[in-house]
Amino acid sequence: MKIDNSLPLEYSTEENSNKILGFWIFLGAEIMLFATLFSAYFTLVDRTGTGPTGAEIFEITPVLIETILLLTSSFTIGLGIHAMRIGNKKAMLTFFTITLLLGLGFLSFEIFEFVHYVHIGAGLQTSAFTAILLTTLGTHGAHVTFGLFWGLFIILQVKKRGFTPETANKSFIFSLYWHFLDVVWIFIFSFVYLKGMM
Amino acid sequence: MKELFPMKQVMGFVFSILLTTIALAVYFLDMSITTGMTILLVTAFIQAAVQLVVFMHAGETKDKGAIYTNVYYGLIIALITVFGTLLCMIWGYI
Repeated sequence: MKIDNSLPLEYSTEENSNKILGFWIFLGAEIMLFATLFSAYFTLVDRTGTGPTGAEIFEITPVLIETILLLTSSFTIGLGIHAMRIGNKKAMLTFFTITLLLGLGFLSFEIFEFVHYVHIGAGLQTSAFTAILLTTLGTHGAHVTFGLFWGLFIILQVKKRGFTPETANKSFIFSLYWHFLDVVWIFIFSFVYLKGMM
Repeated sequence: MKELFPMKQVMGFVFSILLTTIALAVYFLDMSITTGMTILLVTAFIQAAVQLVVFMHAGETKDKGAIYTNVYYGLIIALITVFGTLLCMIWGYI
């Protein structure tokens, strides 16, 4: 295995930089996946039937808290990667842990929001609008949930093995995934919530 | 401690919060759909770009070209899907 020391550890071998490029290609596919969900959402947003409209069920405060939590977690994982590049394992683990806690906070709010929607009669089967709303939000939420477990295992590996080309590569790829979730949330925040409440 | 908070990323975060605040104007201020949508489109796409460049280090290595080509490809397909759907499911009937 040829290690190029001029590059950060996560890119240091041919295999590593190929894995990162491969993950970007996966993220390209994810962009398209969420595009289909947004397309369906924009098509069905007014098909509320006898159920509530977006303006009636959206609340700004929890949505804003979710946004701040996810934005901050995206920032802290960025700091985690920076700490990894300067070789500070303790700081990297701290930032990754903070990231996951913020992610958990986000998820708690989202679960609470879903329970609230069902409680006020906006469940998955109420109308075309609520169905696509919960599907879109749920797909993002499922990604966050998956990310929480993934991140936890990354933390455990780095804790056990330290920074190697493998663990650094895995951590970096996880950070790409997490930032991507934040990007998707920005679009949900803007075009589902804010547009719905405008 | 200071070396743990690189200026570039802190500024990226501050900028993201700023863009979120600007986007919030569509909720708190009374404005037309066109103005509101313009603000949302601009702030959302700038924020996505900030994430990509500042936090995801998209342009750092020799794979820069491939990474950007792939992201643009994904984005173009996404926009065609969204606007194509709007065109044939919504706008076409007005």
